[in-house]
Amino acid sequence: MTMKMTTRLARGAALSTAAILLATSANAQTLTFFTGNDQAVVAYSEAVAEAFEAANPGVTVEVEVGPGGTERDNMVKSRLATGTMSDVFVYNAGSLFQAINPMQTTVDLSNEPWQDSILESFKQTVTAQDGTVRGAPFGMAMGGGVLYNKPIYEELGLEVPMTWDQFMSNNQAVADAGYVPVIQTYGDTWTSQLFVLADYFNVQAAEPDFAERYTNNEAKYATSEAAMAGFQYLEDVNEAGYLNEDYGAATLADGLRMVATGEGAHYPMLTFALGTIGQNYPDNLNDVGFFAIPGDSPDVNGATIWMPTGLYVASEGPNVELAKQFVAFAASPEIACDLQMEVAPVTGPFLVAGCELPEDVPAGVADMQPYFEADGRTAPALEFLSPIKGPNLENLTVEVGSGIRPAAEAAELYDEDVRKQAQQLGLEGW
Amino acid sequence: MNLIKRYWLTALASIVALVVFVTPFIFIILMAVKDRQQAALRDMSWPINFQLVENFLAVVQARDYMLITAYINSTILTVGSVTILVIVASMVGFVLQRHPTKWTPVVEFFVMAGLMIPPAVVPTIWLLQGIGLFKTLHGMILIEVAYNMSFAVILYRQFVATIPREMDEAAIIDGAKPLDVFFRVVFPMMWPVTVTNIVVQSVGIFNDFVNPLYYLPGRGNETVQLTLYSFQSQFNTQYNLLFMDILLVTIPPLLVFLFFNRQIVAGLSAGAIKG
Repeated sequence: MTMKMTTRLARGAALSTAAILLATSANAQTLTFFTGNDQAVVAYSEAVAEAFEAANPGVTVEVEVGPGGTERDNMVKSRLATGTMSDVFVYNAGSLFQAINPMQTTVDLSNEPWQDSILESFKQTVTAQDGTVRGAPFGMAMGGGVLYNKPIYEELGLEVPMTWDQFMSNNQAVADAGYVPVIQTYGDTWTSQLFVLADYFNVQAAEPDFAERYTNNEAKYATSEAAMAGFQYLEDVNEAGYLNEDYGAATLADGLRMVATGEGAHYPMLTFALGTIGQNYPDNLNDVGFFAIPGDSPDVNGATIWMPTGLYVASEGPNVELAKQFVAFAASPEIACDLQMEVAPVTGPFLVAGCELPEDVPAGVADMQPYFEADGRTAPALEFLSPIKGPNLENLTVEVGSGIRPAAEAAELYDEDVRKQAQQLGLEGW
Repeated sequence: MNLIKRYWLTALASIVALVVFVTPFIFIILMAVKDRQQAALRDMSWPINFQLVENFLAVVQARDYMLITAYINSTILTVGSVTILVIVASMVGFVLQRHPTKWTPVVEFFVMAGLMIPPAVVPTIWLLQGIGLFKTLHGMILIEVAYNMSFAVILYRQFVATIPREMDEAAIIDGAKPLDVFFRVVFPMMWPVTVTNIVVQSVGIFNDFVNPLYYLPGRGNETVQLTLYSFQSQFNTQYNLLFMDILLVTIPPLLVFLFFNRQIVAGLSAGAIKG
């Protein structure tokens, strides 16, 4: 142990000394890989890098970790603009992918043989405007919906709601029993968007061409009853007094604690959170279930799906061929399924054909399975179908959820925000 | 009674200072020794499981001893840039104050511009790439020097005015060459403002987060502030390890301050009398 530590110390010292002494020269056998900084993502990235090094003697993969959220957007864009991006990088699929100008900045991967095994639903989210596929899935799909506390449901004899009215009557029963019916956590503003974004399955069920018309400046949130519903839901739960008292200051970590330990019954969230619950509250992991945001009719009920991040090859990198090999390696079932399950918690289904979820998945992931197995019970979130997502949505949903602004007004303001974003992207018809 | 009358304000100030400065520090220490579950609550509670050693090892060993590399990088970055800053800025301040020429207003304009105009990331990276200094520590040192130069020059310029000209003249009459005048006579007398510069700049550069994030990417190039990203992310934060890292990162600037604290006070009062 001490021995190992000393050599590693020495290596660390040597490494930084080398960095000082000379500018790192491009070595054909060194591949740089820019990944995210979530614990599970880092563990998986390093495992992939190690496996790739083992499979290709002489190749070194340097894993670099970067921030998430808007800082990542700035960083990825500035590094792509200056041609200093790592050979392979991880970034969002969908509307954020469109915003990095993929036709110029990434390498076309349409004709790679491994594309055959990637599910079509993912491919369309990493397809540039000229129809070429530019990425491979890196991670698991997530469901957007409501995480609920199963022991509370059992205690009160409740059933998973299939309509919004049932959901509200469940909330009343939960409130009567003295628990918090709906958890909201506006300390992390992005968490406020779930009622609107995860309701997209219901929007699409009511208006199948909504995404297309929305992109073409024809459909609006304020004038579509189905799209308005998400804002209305937020207003309803606030007016009924179903929120936790500290909803304005609570954070994601608080929300997960409440739903896992039974302080609250419902928390609208993405299923990646099951991974965090598994680490922070391992004993409570199977107390947390999942259901989709219910709509008007019990016959139309399905989950909204978020695609995982994509793995892309930067077009200006010195090792494009090696980078392509790396992406092919990472997209193979041995890595994308088997290795990933080994090192990262399972939080949703895979997007590589032939990947099976293990038997002992957490209860919340098991609850997602029926949606995926039945036809027509899933829809991708709007941000994967349309390049436009207004940056101010989270501020508006916080306002509606706090009772500061009526739903109808927020929907109108969001349409305005969308218009600005579309103009900034230079889309036609705006 | 008399004692209370005399010292109540001092006592009150001490208590306020204790609450404002020591409470956050205690919070950091408590968080740093908790286990993950309890740390996720982020409250001011006594740790149930003491995990000082486990958390310390987890933070130091994270990502192949990245913290050690980061400490080395940050130390070189801080020491290197502060050394260059002090030497160059003191010379500029001295010349600007002692030898006004028609170029002085131009130089002063650029010094002020350095304070007022925010630096742009993309052109800076482009320039660094052009001269082959991008992603290198010495390139980063030059950036820190450039960004902090204006402030340091202004501090020195003001201070040189308080050193009597007769000192330089006496040295010249005694046969000192220009460099001797500066390094053996004037520079030692600037010690108080040099200490101020060292403390202010080294804390600022050591704590710099944004500039290394953009200008010094790459594995092995991390500075200590960037190691915080190993434990904090958008979706999943390990608060116990994050606070242990914060604790370890806070210690070096604290030591610098404790070490120089007496010097600052002594230096300031000495300068005041001479001035």
